[in-house]
Parts: sequence; C-alpha cells; structure tokens
Amino acid sequence: MKGPGLTFILGRPWHTAQWLQWLAILAAAGGALAWSAQDLQLSMNELIKGLPWMADLVSRMFPPNWGFMQRLMRPIFETVQLAVWGTLFAIVLALPLCFLAARNLTPNPLVFHAIRQVFNAARGINEIIFALIFVAAVGLGPFAGVLALSVHGAGMLGKFFAEAIEEADPGPVEALRATGARPLQVIVFAVLPQALPAWIAAVLYRLEVNLRAATILGMVGAGGIGFELYSSLKLFQYEDTATCVIVILVMVMTADYVSSRLRARILTR
Amino acid sequence: MIEVRGLSKRYGALAALVDVSLQVAAGEMLVVLGPSGAGKSTLLRCINRLVEPSGGDVRIAGEAVPGTRAGLRRLRSQVGMIFQDHNLVPRLSVLKNVLSGRLSRMPEWMSLLQLFRGEDVRIALDCLKRVELEDRAWSRADRLSGGQQQRVGIARALAQQPRAILADEPVASLDPKTARVVLGDLKRASRELGIAVLCNLHQVGYAMEFADRIIGVHAGRIVYEGGPDALDAQALARIYPGLEGMSQAETETEGISPPVSELMS
Repeated sequence: MKGPGLTFILGRPWHTAQWLQWLAILAAAGGALAWSAQDLQLSMNELIKGLPWMADLVSRMFPPNWGFMQRLMRPIFETVQLAVWGTLFAIVLALPLCFLAARNLTPNPLVFHAIRQVFNAARGINEIIFALIFVAAVGLGPFAGVLALSVHGAGMLGKFFAEAIEEADPGPVEALRATGARPLQVIVFAVLPQALPAWIAAVLYRLEVNLRAATILGMVGAGGIGFELYSSLKLFQYEDTATCVIVILVMVMTADYVSSRLRARILTR
Repeated sequence: MIEVRGLSKRYGALAALVDVSLQVAAGEMLVVLGPSGAGKSTLLRCINRLVEPSGGDVRIAGEAVPGTRAGLRRLRSQVGMIFQDHNLVPRLSVLKNVLSGRLSRMPEWMSLLQLFRGEDVRIALDCLKRVELEDRAWSRADRLSGGQQQRVGIARALAQQPRAILADEPVASLDPKTARVVLGDLKRASRELGIAVLCNLHQVGYAMEFADRIIGVHAGRIVYEGGPDALDAQALARIYPGLEGMSQAETETEGISPPVSELMS
C-alpha cells in the first residue's frame, strides 16, 4: 500500500488501448466540429462588424409603441384560442391510439411499432411545416394553424400517453385480471387511475408548447400574433415590433409559470 | 372446492411444478410452505390461469377450466386472489378498490361510466366491515398503512363472493402483529363464508397457528402433507433442506438455539 495521495477515479480503470480509443474518438469529434464551423462560416470578425447594425436596430425599437397594443388585443386572444383548440384536437387524436402504442396493452407488436412510427412522424415534423401544408389545403387563417398544432401535438401527446401507460404498476392490473374483469374494465379501473396524473401533466405541457408555437404560426399566415410581428418587421415599424416581442414574452412566461406550477401540484398528489 | 391433479409447469428447461396434486375443501385453510423459488406462486397462478400450466387438471367446485375467454373470466370471478404487495390501485378510494371485485358481475357499460348498483355497493361495504375498515371507505388506498391495505385486498377478494381464495404470501411485508390480524381476518372469512383458502406462506410459525392443513413444497414437488401438529423437524428438513445441517453446525460452534426450533416457536 502506498501512503496517502491522490487517485484519479472515473470508473473501472482503463487499459492503454481504451485510452487510445477514447482519444481517437475525441480527435474525430474535434475534426468534425472544425469542419462544420468552416462550412457554416462561423466568424468572430463578422459578428463584431455586425454589432453596430444590431445596436441600430435595437435602438429603433425604443421606445416600444404602446399604442400598438390596441391592434394586438385581437391577435393575442386568437393566439390563446389557437393553443387551446390545437391542444384539444391533439388529445382527441392521441387518446384512441395511445393504448395501441403502449407495450403492455398493444394487441400485437406490429400495431405497436406502426403507431409509434406515426407518432414519431407527427412529432418529428415541425409545426411550421404542417402549417404551410394546411395553409395550402384549407387556406390562410387560424384554422390551418389549429390543424398544424393538432397533428404535431397528437404525436407528442400520443407518445407521452403511451409511456405513462407503460409505467403503470402491473400489480393492480394482474389483480383486476384475476377478479375476472373484462379488458376494458381492467384499463379503466387499474391502468387509467395510474396514468391520469402524467396525462394531465403532459396536456398542460403541450398547452404551454402550443402557446409558444402559436406566436409564430402567423408568419406563415396560419393565425395568431406572429402575423403582426412579421408585418411590423416588413414595414420597418420597429417600435411596433418591440411591443409584439414584449407581449409574446409575457404570454410565454406566464404560460410557462402557470403550467409548471400546476404540473408540480398534480404530479405530487 | 379446489382440486388440483398432476399439475406441472415448465419454463424452458426449468421445472417449476412437478406433478402437484392437492385438494382444498370449502371453509378449509390450506397453507403452502416452501422456500423462495419453490414454485408456490406459480402453483397459485396456475389455478386461476394467470400462468398457463404445462399439464394437469384444475377444478373449481367440480368445474374444469373452460377454454373460452368468457368462461375463464367466469371462473376467475369465483376465485379471489390476495397478493404480497396487496396490488390495490393506489389513487382510487378504498371503496372503489373493493368494488373492483364486483366488476365481473357488472354490466360493462355501467362500470365504464363509473355507475354502480346499490346492491354492489352494499356488498362492498359489507366486506369492508368484515375487515373492520368501513370507516375508511372514502380514503385513498395509498393513505392506509400496509396492514390496512392488505385487509382492503382481502375485502376486494371477498367482494367477489368467491368459492375459493388464493393468497400469495399475504403477510410477507407486514410486521408480526399486523400479520396475525390479516391472517386472522382471512381465516375467519374462510370459516364463516365457507371459502376454500389456499395460502402461501414462508413463516412456519404462522402456518402452524392458522392452517387447517399444511403442504410443503420444495423444488416444485410436494414433500410434506399433513396437519400443523405433524410438522416436525424432519418434515421441515424436507421442505427446507440444508436448514438442519446449518442448525447443527451453529449449535456446535456457537451454542445458540437452532433455527428449526426458532421457526417452530
């Protein structure tokens, strides 16, 4: 035994070969990053040269035009309405499918994988892309936005709902099966009570995310406050832009605060 | 009431149950003793087909296990089950947990709408009274102590108005005093309602105190069958091989009381 000293412990000790392998991986990652930095034209120089222009733009935003608030009231409500209906439709779409996408309830693995992939696709495509598609389909306006939020949100909620079902304790499920209860009864009396808090938390989170998304849907003509933001920028009305940005910030932060407080309360009950 | 003949269960190369036969009469409490992994849980689960046996014959009240799903559910509705971890639904009220024992007798649409017949509620409350928890009917199940939760588990099984009850280590996670209350409740229900009870235990003391008859299982086979009085050190050595040798070694070296007599006290 050596005397007292410092020993470097990360985990199980590594052989030289393992250290070399690790170094090779680090070097490769570093190389890839340097390459992409060049492709992306990352440049400290350009950033410094651009600073005065940014300062100019910001200075033109002040003071914010509070009178513009009057024009914003209607779009603000529309944004909230968009988020709420987008969430509702997402729930309606996700609910019947989530049971089939839970490993412990699915009738067969093929159905499970198929529906999980549908959820993944819906979740993987951005709301703005869905909005562009639905604007083309149903025309400009908030309805296209609602549809975009619904489809994208259904993908997320479906996955969350299914995972909450999978996390349910199988004990009560076995107990109810042992009483001779029918499958639907087992779901309603043993699975749902266990999954419900997580479901409500997911819906609240989705509502929060939808509100955030609804603030930019207007940029592609799918309703909400984003349209005012976008047009004020195009018309160089930067004082109006500032008002929009502040309103959006307040909306998003409020939603974030309320949603996280509610979720914390529900999940600890 | 419960008749098991030549029951066997294999998991691949592992024989969990080998040619197990037993009978439990109405109002009788048969305790199954055995070390962990002896096949006690599998035996119980083969009876209500939570586990599909590899061979053998099970009859409840003379009826063989039907091949159809509806038939299987009808059979299960006559066999209550009590679990080591009680398996209550934690967020539901005590009453609703007990009412779930009635689900198999309720019209499905009614139960899905959370509508319950007065008759079913009365039966559920009666069963709660039997375990002396009627005043906790509206508490959430997870607010109760472990012993109380297990008694709710008994009430849920009784709400099925079953002919038989399968109890899988019902007191394994309870302190000795609570365990006696729970086993007492189970025994009384069995006597008064004429229910055949098949109960897995691993505490020999409780088996001798509460069993009408005892079956010892080791490595999937029945190695002892008889009354609690006939369960001597020799029989225990067959159920728990190695225990005897251990006790001898310990007596020689340490001079402390051997575990066998400890288990029997």
